[in-house]
Amino acid sequence: MVQLSVTVDDGHLTAIDDVAQALRAQGMQVDQVLDGLGIITGSAPADSRPALTGVEGVVSVDEQLTYQLPPPDSAVQ
Amino acid sequence: MIDPRFEATAGPSDGRAWSGPPPETTGRQIVVFAQGDDEPSINWEHAGISSVADSRDFSGGEVSPDALQDAQATVFAELGIAVVSADVGQMGALQAAVAESRPVLSVSPELVHHVLHHDVEGYAQAYRDGVNDLAGRLLHPEGSGTAQIAAPPGSALFADTPQATWGIQATKALSTPRSGRGIKVAVLDTGFDLGHPDFAGRNVTAQSFVQGEQAQDGHGHGTHCIGTSCGPRTPSTGPRYGVAYEADIFAGKVLSNSGSGSDAGILAGINWAVTNRCPVISMSLGANVQQAHPPYSAAGARALQRGSLIIAAAGNNADRRSGNFGFVGAPANSVEIMAVGALDMQLGMAYFSARSLPARGGQVDIAGPGWQVYSSWPMPTRYRTISGTSMATPHVAGLAALWAEATGRRGLELWATLCTESERLLQPSLDVGSGLALAPQ
Repeated sequence: MVQLSVTVDDGHLTAIDDVAQALRAQGMQVDQVLDGLGIITGSAPADSRPALTGVEGVVSVDEQLTYQLPPPDSAVQ
Repeated sequence: MIDPRFEATAGPSDGRAWSGPPPETTGRQIVVFAQGDDEPSINWEHAGISSVADSRDFSGGEVSPDALQDAQATVFAELGIAVVSADVGQMGALQAAVAESRPVLSVSPELVHHVLHHDVEGYAQAYRDGVNDLAGRLLHPEGSGTAQIAAPPGSALFADTPQATWGIQATKALSTPRSGRGIKVAVLDTGFDLGHPDFAGRNVTAQSFVQGEQAQDGHGHGTHCIGTSCGPRTPSTGPRYGVAYEADIFAGKVLSNSGSGSDAGILAGINWAVTNRCPVISMSLGANVQQAHPPYSAAGARALQRGSLIIAAAGNNADRRSGNFGFVGAPANSVEIMAVGALDMQLGMAYFSARSLPARGGQVDIAGPGWQVYSSWPMPTRYRTISGTSMATPHVAGLAALWAEATGRRGLELWATLCTESERLLQPSLDVGSGLALAPQ
C-alpha cells in the first residue's frame, strides 16, 4: 500500500464525491476528500495506480511526499 | 498642485551627479481628476475653455491627432485625465470650479518624450565609476569583506536591539501603521504553544491534522513561526519579534511533535485555511524534491482563486560556503506558491538558502530575514534564536497580512504587491527574487 494524493480536474470539482466513489471502486482507500482544493488523499496498492489515473476527472495520482524537520535544538531549521 | 519634480532649476539635493538637461515640455498641462462611480462632467466654461474634445465622442475612444492639437482641452474619459492649454489663471479657475464635483489630484507639465538612444560615453563613465567603487570597497573593506559588497550602498548593518529584532527593523515593520487587524494568518507547522503568555488575549484558532496528536506544539518550530508572523507589539519581556501583531492566528498542526508530516496532513491544513478564508497561509516546510508536486500546484492555484496566498520556504538545502547553491524544493517550487529565501543581517544570503531552479515555478520569489531570528518558543523556554528559510517565510507572511489590511488585495494581487513593494538588493534574483519584503509605511 502506498499513500497517494489524487488531484481532481477543474471540471469535476463540484462532483468530487463521485470521483471519490470511482476511486474506491478501483481499490483506493479514501481517507480525505478535500473539497476546498479538489484533492483526495488515501492509500492503494502500488499496482492499482494506472487504474486510478484512468478514473474520469482525475488529473494526477502522486505518491505522497514526506517531510521531516530537524530536531528542536538545531541551529538551522 | 503643480508637480514639484519639474521646477525649472531644481535637481536632487543629495549630492548625486545628475547629468542631462531638464525635461522638455510643450507648455500644456496634464490634469488628473479624481475618479469615482458617479462622474459629473467638468465645467470647462468656468475656466474660459470653450473648445473641448472628449474621447467619448470618438468611436473606439480614438482621439485624432488633429483634435488633440486643435482643442483647448482634450479629455480621456476612461482615465479621468485631460490635456489642457491654459494659463495659470485659467488653471486656478478650473480647479476652483471642480473642487467639489471632480477634485483635481495633480497638474503636471506635458513632457516631450524621445526614443531612447545609446549614450555610449555616459555608459562608459558609469561603468568606470562602478568598477572604481567596487575596487575601493574590496581593497579597503570596512566590514567583513564580501558581505559588505552584497549590501546596497548606504545600508547599515542590522542587529537585535532591546526594542526589536533585526528582522523587524529591516522589514520596516517597526514603522508601519498596520497591525494585521482583521486578517487571518494560517501557519501550517508543528502547532502552537497555546499557553504562551505573549499571546494571551489574541484570537487563536488551533486545529490538528496529525493523527493522534493535539494542536499543542510539542516541537517548537510552529510556535517560533507564529511568533515571527504574528507576535505581539510589546512582548511580556525582551524585544519585539512579530510582524502582524493583531492578526487572527490560525494554527494548523500538519507536522508532528517530532517534526514529520506528509501530504495528507499538509493538504488538509491548506484546505482548512482556504475554507476559513485565510488570506495568508505560511508554510515553513519542504521536501528536497526538484519536481513540482502536482497536488501542491493544484492547491496553490485553487487557493489563489479563492483569495488565499500560500507562502512557503525555499529550502535550506544549500551550503554556499562550499559552493553548493541547493534548489527550491516542493511545495515552494510550484508555480502558484510563493517561495521565500533567507537573508542575514548584512542582507547577504544565509549560507543554507536555496537558489532558484531553472524550471517554471522553481524561482525564489522574495526574501526575508532568516539568520539568527529570535522568536517565541514553547514554555518554559519562552524564546529561542534559530535560522532558516523557515524563519524568513513567516516574516513575509506577516508582511502579507499588513499589505492585505492596507490595500484590501488578495491572491495574486497581494503577491504582486509584496513584490513591487520589496526592496531591491544587489543579490541576484536567482537568490532573492524581487528582494527584501517590506511593510507598508
